[in-house]
Amino acid sequence: MSTDAALTPTAGEYTSENIKTLKDAAHIRQNPGMYVGNTQSGGLHHLVYEIVYNSVDEALAGYCTLIRVVAHKDGSITVADDGRGIPIGIKPDSGKSTLEEVLTVAGSSGKFDNAAYRVSAGLHGMGAKAMNALSEWCEAEVRRDGRVYKLEFERGYATSPIQDLGPAPDGKTGTSITFKPDPEVFGDLTFSYETLAERFREIAYLNKGLALTLVDERDGRTEAFKYDGGIAEFVVYLNQGETPEHPPVYVKKEVDNITVEVAFQYTAGEEKIERCYTNNAYNPVGGTHLSGYRAGITRAVNTYGKKEGHFKDGLEIRGEDFREGLTAVISIGHPDPVFESQTKVRLNNPEVEGIVSSVVYEFLSEYLEKNPKDGQRICRKIALSAEARIAAKKARDALIDRKKILSGGGLPGKLMDCSTRDRDKSELFLVEGDSAGGSAEGGRDRMFQAVLPLRGKVLNVEKARLEKLLKNAEISALIAAIGVDIENVEDISKVRYGKVIILTDADVDGQHIRTLLLTFFFRQMRKLIEDGHVFVARPPLFKVTQKKESRFVQTREEMTKELMARGLKDTVLQVLATPDREPARVPRAVTGGDLAKLVPALSEAETAVVSLERRGHTLESFLHRLKDGAFPAQHVRFAGKEFWFHTIEEVAAFRAEQAQKLGRELVLADELAGVVAGGPGAPAPTGVVDEAARYTLDEWHEVRALNRAVAKLRAMGFEPRDLVPLQRVAGREPPVRFVLESGSTRKELAHLREFVMEIRRLGERGITVTRFKGLGEMDPEELWETTLNPAKRTLLRVTLTDAQQAEDLFRTLMGEEVEGRKQFIMDHKINNPEDIDYGA
Amino acid sequence: MSKVRCPICDAAMPGNRQDYPDYPFCSRRCRIIDLGRWLGEEYRVAGKETGDDRSTPSEGGEDESAR
Repeated sequence: MSTDAALTPTAGEYTSENIKTLKDAAHIRQNPGMYVGNTQSGGLHHLVYEIVYNSVDEALAGYCTLIRVVAHKDGSITVADDGRGIPIGIKPDSGKSTLEEVLTVAGSSGKFDNAAYRVSAGLHGMGAKAMNALSEWCEAEVRRDGRVYKLEFERGYATSPIQDLGPAPDGKTGTSITFKPDPEVFGDLTFSYETLAERFREIAYLNKGLALTLVDERDGRTEAFKYDGGIAEFVVYLNQGETPEHPPVYVKKEVDNITVEVAFQYTAGEEKIERCYTNNAYNPVGGTHLSGYRAGITRAVNTYGKKEGHFKDGLEIRGEDFREGLTAVISIGHPDPVFESQTKVRLNNPEVEGIVSSVVYEFLSEYLEKNPKDGQRICRKIALSAEARIAAKKARDALIDRKKILSGGGLPGKLMDCSTRDRDKSELFLVEGDSAGGSAEGGRDRMFQAVLPLRGKVLNVEKARLEKLLKNAEISALIAAIGVDIENVEDISKVRYGKVIILTDADVDGQHIRTLLLTFFFRQMRKLIEDGHVFVARPPLFKVTQKKESRFVQTREEMTKELMARGLKDTVLQVLATPDREPARVPRAVTGGDLAKLVPALSEAETAVVSLERRGHTLESFLHRLKDGAFPAQHVRFAGKEFWFHTIEEVAAFRAEQAQKLGRELVLADELAGVVAGGPGAPAPTGVVDEAARYTLDEWHEVRALNRAVAKLRAMGFEPRDLVPLQRVAGREPPVRFVLESGSTRKELAHLREFVMEIRRLGERGITVTRFKGLGEMDPEELWETTLNPAKRTLLRVTLTDAQQAEDLFRTLMGEEVEGRKQFIMDHKINNPEDIDYGA
Repeated sequence: MSKVRCPICDAAMPGNRQDYPDYPFCSRRCRIIDLGRWLGEEYRVAGKETGDDRSTPSEGGEDESAR
């Protein structure tokens, strides 16, 4: 090379004249921490990175594509690249080769001159000098200008002049540095394969297309790193095992000589990952590029989410909410980076913040507009993050002062505790209803029974609908009173009561409060249910008064049973000889056990007949279809008419007969898709309905049930026609066929469907039956006797299945749409408020 | 098995209940959000409908645990 060229460097040339001298490097060994962070494992690996960075700089400048790092058995490391090779020309001012100056004299480096390296990972080239000064020995081999040169060092000083080792094979260029860290400096001399691999993977991601190979001669492991996807691929790698919300977003832009490259991706997780790099160097503390990126994300998503209405009004979203589950790699190329400390923990260039922020903002805003689905998912996720943060605070605030919550000074949710602290014996009653709380307080055994009154809150929504909810204070009181650690729900060792018993009215409101409570337990205190601590109390449904005496009946079934038993006692059914059959029936009297057996058979028949009537068929109109004591259950609709058959064989015969008349086979109507194609003889074209051949077939299950009941009745000497009144003759009342006699009471029956009701009526003679709607209708003594007293009460233990069902119902009830609720009610054929029970 | 979804974030929850310590939620975070909604009085069920029919759902009749 000519002297002139060396004195006036041109862009892209890298010669001895680029080097400027600052000061001697001697004090590196006295202050290693200043240069490589520490003298432990971190500092040791840092030596390697510094040399690799120099090779990466060659790559960034466009002269290097391959970097190879070899860990040798003796503890030394080789970093080799196929770059231009460090210049070996002798500097006129110092008389030393550039190679020697680069590796020995502090401040001498090509990095000071932006013409040689526009961007650079190393800080003023101090890294290579630090490596050399902190190594027991070092060998630098340079291939340049067609020859191979070598220079050797010990603890930072050259031990020989540059040796020319002859021509370079194939005229190749490159630099290879081998060094062994000095045991006098480092406490730990073992290079970790994993640590090196992790860093090289990172470098390869940061430099799209750059190939880095790591070879470990100690155990033969080797790995090559090369990523054509760059940092977008890096983000995907960092998000391994998480569920991504969208494909990675990637932007690269150059502004004012600064290259900004950002890739990010939201996942369903909660972890936030932010990796910041400047000129390939990792900046663990971040800096101005990180704050710029954050500002850009926040502004873009916030603007978009508000505009699209993805964020609820009043939801306070903080910067951190925008970054939950967000993984990002921010990599910038800067010609003159300013770092905090030699180890580049933080980037300080103030101009970077605005540049990164606007690059991210502009790109992401456009991305969200173009990908509204991703936009919605991202916004939804952020809204949940904000809600989670607020919820956690709300939970802390709500439960911060247990004592205050529980003493509550007359507030709803005030606990009336019991005196024992024996958990196995103690019970907590959650009592709903205005007067019930008072009765429960008066009626309980203070020794072991605690009462927490819940009043709920009723809201009048849109003037048409009342909504019920549990107040904040009540939820707080529930948690505090029960003593479940809401932070650690699996641990129920601190629970204060052996039994938590829900006690609510047997009306709609009570049922809703119960649903709310069960859902709350299922969701927030599941373990309590799992371990069998949650119960539902069953207060009596009926009060029976006879003369001056009152007593209670727990359930509807018990009440019915009792009334029937009373009604049957000393009652006779006279079956009269009526002229409705041939031969005429022999009169007889049915009593005792035979009479009792009639009740279930007739109840069964009644249920079936009511069901049949719902379909628009009276028993009367069905009677003529009776054959061998059974009604036909197979129902066929064909040619606009209805047909009934007893067996499926009859149906087949009917189809054959009709097919013959029609000239083709009958086609079963497909309720979903019109009709299915007919038989092979006459295949109906797809999509064309052959109306004439169409038929439907279904089995009426209530007819089957009716047949079972009829069989029982026939065994007792009754026929289906006994369930139907006889024809009126000339406008007169139908003749009496049965008479019920009980003591002085005599009741004429036109047919047996009246039987069960009349027996019940007989049973009600002399007593008054009251159905309880609210617990408040009981005084404290009655409540104790029927509901609180462990010796007499009925408790239902709530299983996980029960609670799950309550939660399902809750989800339905919570559904905004009234339609869904109505549908649910219809599906479950629930339309009788009398059916509401105390049960779980 | 029917598809189970987290009541908060609607994420599908494949596998068994035992796989989810915060069941019926997919995560602890969703459970905390739910707790926040209870405390924020956001959960309401319909009370009596004024003027409308008095139809009311029940929880499916008999209680299975009444053994």
